Amino acid sequence: MSLVRIPATKETPEVVFDPSKMSFHLSGESYPENAMAFYAPVRNQLESLLSAPAANDGMEAHFNLRYFNSSSTKLIRSLVGMLHRRAEEGARIVAHWYHDPDDDMMAEFGADLRDEFEALDFRLIEAESA
Amino acid sequence: MQLEAIDRFRAEASAQQVLLHFSGELNGNLVATLSDTVRERLDDSAPDRRVARRVFSAFVEMAQNMLHYAPRGEGHHGPQGTLTVSRAADQFSVVACNRVRGDQISRVRFRVEAVRAMTLEEIKAAYRAQLRNEDHETEDTTSRGAGLGFLTLAREASQPIDYSIVPIAGEPDTAEFHLRAII
Repeated sequence: MSLVRIPATKETPEVVFDPSKMSFHLSGESYPENAMAFYAPVRNQLESLLSAPAANDGMEAHFNLRYFNSSSTKLIRSLVGMLHRRAEEGARIVAHWYHDPDDDMMAEFGADLRDEFEALDFRLIEAESA
Repeated sequence: MQLEAIDRFRAEASAQQVLLHFSGELNGNLVATLSDTVRERLDDSAPDRRVARRVFSAFVEMAQNMLHYAPRGEGHHGPQGTLTVSRAADQFSVVACNRVRGDQISRVRFRVEAVRAMTLEEIKAAYRAQLRNEDHETEDTTSRGAGLGFLTLAREASQPIDYSIVPIAGEPDTAEFHLRAII
């Protein structure tokens, strides 16, 4: 697998899969009209990255979202669920969840994910204009 | 439209502190552009970013709801509706008006009423439960999202979301659905 970068649009986040660093980035906005259509290929790419042998040595995920709509919500949670399953198999996975200090919903959503997916090293990070 | 009528229309919009009003046929591109416009205007007028984010979120949920569920008018390709964001003192209101098919009325009423009856803590609990509900797609074949739309609206709003469903004279198969969130 080589580096994959899906550029951001007004309604969809930038997505980066970097096998050289074993990192995954999701950043920006997520309110596509059809969230399923956007996230299906993202899931597939993440699956490839997670199944690379290098994933055993660890992986970093960065969720830096400014806003997501209700239909993106479950799909974003399910990406975190995929990371979690891999972590349960023994890979050390660090997930960074960035949120604006003013955005209590983004913070709460991250805190819920942290509590639910215990096998991840899940870090909530306050960052201006996430 | 008469030029005087335009002036009355504009004066009323100004008096009501309308940030954005759209009426007509919707499509995905239009919803994206309107959402973006709402955000820009909120950046200029909302008292703080927290309020701006909530109003924006309520607008996106309502606009996408309309896009997914509002019936297509005769001779139209897309769903029809009206979306309005306005301000009154420190509060913003987001209002959506569209038609709803007769066989969907009880479903819409049931879902909005259920959310209206909840406290904020109950809304958050229902949201968490629905988020983890893996069977939503098979249980609810009408829904085109995650089943979180009304719950999201209720979380953003600072008072219970309100609505009305009004019959249309001579059209027993549809009704007019108005939904309002105050933030």
